[in-house]
Amino acid sequence: MPSTRALVAAMLACIAAISACRKERAVSDVVALANKVESRTIQLFFESPDLLLVPETRLLSLPANQAAALSQVVAELLKGSANTAVPRLFPEDTVVRGAYLLPEGNAVVDLGGQTLTDGWNTGSHTELMAAYSLVHTLSANFEIRRVRILVNGQPVATLAGHVAIDRPLLPSGDAVKR
Amino acid sequence: MGVPGVGAMKRVLVVLLVLLAVATLVLAQGIGRATVRTPNGDREVMTIQQRGETLLAADETIAAFGGRITAEGEGFRIALGAMEAIFGPDSRFAVVRDDLIEMAQEPVVIEGRAFLPSGFFRELIPRASGLDVTWDPASRLLLARPRTREVLSAQVSVVDLQGTTKIVIQFSGAAEHTITRTGTSYLIQLRNTVRAPFAEQAYDNPRVSRITFRDGEIGIHLRGAAVAGDAYELQNPFRIVLDLKEAPEGSPAYRPQLRTEPRFQQTLPGVRTIVLDPGHGGKEVGAIGPNGLMEKDATLAICRKLAAVLSSRLGLRVILTRNEDEAITLEQRTALANHYKADLFLSVHLNAAVMKGARGAETYFLSVEASDELARSAAERENLTPSGSRSRAGSDLNLILWELAQQEYLKESSRFAEIVQEEMNRALGIENRGVKQAPFKVLIGATMPAALVEVGFITNPDEEAKLLDEGFQGTIASTLASAIERYKTEYDVRMGVGGARVAAPAPAGAGDPAAAEPERTSGR
Repeated sequence: MPSTRALVAAMLACIAAISACRKERAVSDVVALANKVESRTIQLFFESPDLLLVPETRLLSLPANQAAALSQVVAELLKGSANTAVPRLFPEDTVVRGAYLLPEGNAVVDLGGQTLTDGWNTGSHTELMAAYSLVHTLSANFEIRRVRILVNGQPVATLAGHVAIDRPLLPSGDAVKR
Repeated sequence: MGVPGVGAMKRVLVVLLVLLAVATLVLAQGIGRATVRTPNGDREVMTIQQRGETLLAADETIAAFGGRITAEGEGFRIALGAMEAIFGPDSRFAVVRDDLIEMAQEPVVIEGRAFLPSGFFRELIPRASGLDVTWDPASRLLLARPRTREVLSAQVSVVDLQGTTKIVIQFSGAAEHTITRTGTSYLIQLRNTVRAPFAEQAYDNPRVSRITFRDGEIGIHLRGAAVAGDAYELQNPFRIVLDLKEAPEGSPAYRPQLRTEPRFQQTLPGVRTIVLDPGHGGKEVGAIGPNGLMEKDATLAICRKLAAVLSSRLGLRVILTRNEDEAITLEQRTALANHYKADLFLSVHLNAAVMKGARGAETYFLSVEASDELARSAAERENLTPSGSRSRAGSDLNLILWELAQQEYLKESSRFAEIVQEEMNRALGIENRGVKQAPFKVLIGATMPAALVEVGFITNPDEEAKLLDEGFQGTIASTLASAIERYKTEYDVRMGVGGARVAAPAPAGAGDPAAAEPERTSGR
């Protein structure tokens, strides 16, 4: 037993020596925000048969913190409509890498996925519908007016060769059914 | 106290080994210290080494500048004075308002603390303070010093156009400033030292009486209190622009402005040159039909046919952005049209939709918000060459005229799109999906009326079959030619040029679609 005690004492001394390499510091300012969850009815925009966006309501458990809820709402949009007859607007492998709420009604959504990375071969209508489904979904559920879309964390000119997303997008009256 | 059992000892050993493993892992990141030196003193911050780069603990570094960082979802938010920045663990880009800072590598998060490359702080701190930041890897010192401001020279132009007085003050470098209104003057207070072009200059202008340079302050003195201003900055070269107009109706001094002759006439004497843009090309195939038709092939075939009709029927100079299967950036397409000083730009595409049964043609012109943003950054876009490189920005007067012309281009683009859509509806008997506006990249920056036509849905098997047919492609080309002819007639009459059939000199080679390919010396 004394030999075991000696071993433990040696290891403790080792840990103490390693710890000494790191300067004592106060508890970091980086504290995770308390993610209080609340049920919330949100509107997700999908394409209707007349080729315009219409809202679909969905009850979700979301963080009360708006900024934290943002990426979950985008992820919900990417899942597609609850109506299986309504096709997805974004490619099926699209993922949300992050979504950030900025001051003055600005938001940044970082998308990823193989199709968007390799080049999305689609027409302007689909691209418009996809981009504006994101913009209208965010502006309908948050105090957001302008949405900047990134792909893989980087600014890109377009998603599929048409709609300029190297600048923030505003909601478009032409894209939504009135 | 009894001797602990063998089981208890084993558990202690396991815990200690785990602790050792964690400690070793942390040490493997190459933990060290660095100094952040600000005018308020020194602060030691933790650093890690990764891929040869020193990453500084964001919380301690930001705290040294009086800011704080909070975790937000998977990302972090930095608040530094009035400025906020956001970054995440997987992206090299941090968002600062609607701008981005690119980092040398992704942030590293250890135990909930973010570590960022020193370059990030070099970019961020000057945006939030009057400090310039340097990083010395040898002494591991992040040094923040009050910015040394260069002495700037300034030039002033005052132009009165269409009910607006534009005052453009151009500097030799970025001028930190604040603008305030006091009574009948706007005061621009400069933090830089500026070599004044004059002490005082009087102007024969309906809204501005004189401009003064005095003790780091530029005074813009108005003729009355009923003049309202809108100030903004333009870059490359740095300019402060002040737009002055009469105050809104209802104010005692309101005076409606009479429009003068159409300014569009100054830049577009008539439609003589048209740039046709076959959508996509090369690796960018565009949309693909259910039976394999590729958008890039159909758009090229239609544009070649259209070029032939336009050259022979209207004698127009026709330029194709591409005359073979090749990839060209969207910016290059527009820049090519600007370079050749085209009078009209038409981008031809085939549409795609996820909804079954989508059919018909639709025509787009640029949406207003994209156009507004464009006008604000006019200086960066003017004189763009086909390769996308920038040549020297033009004169202030050119800039002002360019901005004003954008509004006219939009009106003309709207009319052009309307005519294209009407002709498509009339001739092709396909569903009318109307004229719409969208922020299409290829239309942004075009300094001429511009539209994008979607001639049909490639995703619809019926329309795909038609679009594959050479005869139908010819019909589309003929229809688009009729639309262009109609627009040209209307426009030329409005501009007093003399009608659609006015002999516009056809350049050598026009008439042969193959010969319609422009000379391209760069960007290819």
